[in-house]
Amino acid sequence: MDLAVGKKDSRVESAISHWAPRFVINGVPLTDFQEVTAAVDRWEDWCAAWSARAAIHEELGNKALAEGLKRSAGEHYTRATVCYHFGKFLFVNDMQQLRSAHMKSVECRNKALPLLDPPGERVAIPYEGKQLYGNLRKPIGVTKAPIVVMCMGLDSAKEEMDDYENRFLRRGLATLAFDGPGQGEAEYDLGICPEYERPVKAVVDYLETRSDIDPGRIGVWGVSLGGYYAPRAAAFEKRLKACVALSGAYERSSSFEGRPVINVEAFRVRSKSSNLEEAGKVSARMTLRGVARNITCPIYIVAGTRDRLTSPEQARNLAAEVSGPCVLDVIEGGNHVVNNLWYRYRDQTADWMAVQLGALRV
Amino acid sequence: MPDARVQSAIAHWAPRFVSNGVPLTDFEEVTAAIERWEDWCSAWCRRAAVHEELGRKALDEGFGLSAGEHLTRAAVCYHFAKFVYVVDYEQMKAAHAKAVECRRLALPHLRPPGERVLIPYERKQLAGILRKPPGVTRPPVVVLCMGLDSTKEEMDTNESVFLGRGMATLTFDGPGQGEGEYDFAIRGDYEAPVKAVVDYIETRDDLDGARVGVWGLSLGGYYAPRAAAFEKRIKACIALSGPYDFGDLWDTLPELTRETFRVRSKRDTPEAARKHAASLSLKGVAGRITCPLLVITGKLDRIVPWQDTERLAREAKGPAEFLLIEDGNHVVNNRIYRYRTQSADWIARRLGPPTT
Repeated sequence: MDLAVGKKDSRVESAISHWAPRFVINGVPLTDFQEVTAAVDRWEDWCAAWSARAAIHEELGNKALAEGLKRSAGEHYTRATVCYHFGKFLFVNDMQQLRSAHMKSVECRNKALPLLDPPGERVAIPYEGKQLYGNLRKPIGVTKAPIVVMCMGLDSAKEEMDDYENRFLRRGLATLAFDGPGQGEAEYDLGICPEYERPVKAVVDYLETRSDIDPGRIGVWGVSLGGYYAPRAAAFEKRLKACVALSGAYERSSSFEGRPVINVEAFRVRSKSSNLEEAGKVSARMTLRGVARNITCPIYIVAGTRDRLTSPEQARNLAAEVSGPCVLDVIEGGNHVVNNLWYRYRDQTADWMAVQLGALRV
Repeated sequence: MPDARVQSAIAHWAPRFVSNGVPLTDFEEVTAAIERWEDWCSAWCRRAAVHEELGRKALDEGFGLSAGEHLTRAAVCYHFAKFVYVVDYEQMKAAHAKAVECRRLALPHLRPPGERVLIPYERKQLAGILRKPPGVTRPPVVVLCMGLDSTKEEMDTNESVFLGRGMATLTFDGPGQGEGEYDFAIRGDYEAPVKAVVDYIETRDDLDGARVGVWGLSLGGYYAPRAAAFEKRIKACIALSGPYDFGDLWDTLPELTRETFRVRSKRDTPEAARKHAASLSLKGVAGRITCPLLVITGKLDRIVPWQDTERLAREAKGPAEFLLIEDGNHVVNNRIYRYRTQSADWIARRLGPPTT
């Protein structure tokens, strides 16, 4: 054990080497990433360290708000939100800590929502006798806007989506980022749901009740595991008019071999499985084989050649099976979700979605 | 092993590059691939060209918003290729021309859009970028003063905080800076170019010439208060990590900083450059500043000691505030959330628009 003194454990090492691009482009200041990860040696300290950093941003937000500086407050709270979120995101080894960081993340984003440009609103979506929560934002000056339903993955939550939302909003599209079963606010009561068309149906039903959204122009978007959920939903839910899938699986297996330990554990916990065998059964239900052929709306599929979680082969298989128009963009050198080369797809997919949903080209 | 100048770049510049618009992966990959300082400029130009191509493609497809963002990233990468690359003037000049070209192409597509303006100065012109907040008639203006190695092409993220709060921005290349570094040497009496800028603002009926603020970073953190001391049409001033007397600092400055200063001062020898540095001073000048002044720096600044910057705040005659960020570096690029929006809110109050 003496050999380990002064060394970081492998989960923290893995965090540092893989996550910097994602954290930074999604709103964590670079220095925060560098300092917090440098100071954490044991994975067990991860959540507390990020929460401490998040509290600094939260305090700056409180101060700005007290002075009536709403725009600044919204930005500080959003930074606090993502720092709390990343404290929580894979910290399933201590659910109490995870939950308190998560509640802070949600609280900070809720405080930010009315202060954002454009503002957002928290919405509750009826779902199988319970509720799913989402953040709805509408572009300025557009009546009955088209909307993009944003599907999270295994470890993302609606609180991480500010950058993605903004790119759609600037192009005249509303956004609804929501926590589905096994995700964010819904990960306590509901296990991961491979048949993700069910929650998405609930979301589309909800959108049809709103007079300020155009129910005839709904797109769906998904990141990572959400890159499986979104096309899965599009295959069944014909009210979806276009789909963007980022680094999602075409077909998962019951085996978790080769996957990082913390990701596997997060899957087990969020699928409410008591062991890996049970979790494997949930994982094996995630398939688009024989399903993807029912996708008839236009789809834009993004994958990275250096993705260590989801092989680009998965994207090719999905593209080969869909029945509608398809853009397949396998990005050379891209990692999982191509967060390292975000400028190669984030604006491009937003432009594409805007065209599909009939927004003005900007 | 990379040479010392490249190592220094990697160690110190990541926060600045990234917070001013370089994608993190670009910074990591480009700096990791460079062994010799001599390869710096071409490596960054190659990366910039990737963004430029994405921008031109988006333009061709009619996606203006995306084009503006890609081209702004291209401009920032070309800019950092050039910024202290005085070792090869021709290469530097070519990279600089690309930075200017890309930012110009981006301007009409930005939100809000920008406009290239030419400011009459000493029978020639200084080039600037003017952007106005949407929906505000005759907005107040913040004049952004560059430093030793920054230029107007690096300022997108800084402009945004002012624009988002109802103020226009006029970022300009003064003598010894950017487009102004070929015809004009660095000058200590920076009130002269700022006077030309304020004169220009007064000719425009879409700007409120009675509500002009000035902002400057690094060496611009000296230029801005210097201008405010003499130019009484300036109503508020923000100074970031500026030296009090550049001559006094000379011996402690990094070699690359001194060499860049020598070239942009158009001096032939280090000794002549040192003498010229002594002309950049607030001694007997800071006391003439009467407008509201906000002075900001980081306690970990290894270029300009924080006590230097504080001296400016102490000697100013108007209402002055000093914000010392304990864990901040030069220009506090590592902690922009501690001052960037805060200082924009501060100047918005002084220049009059409602705070939002």
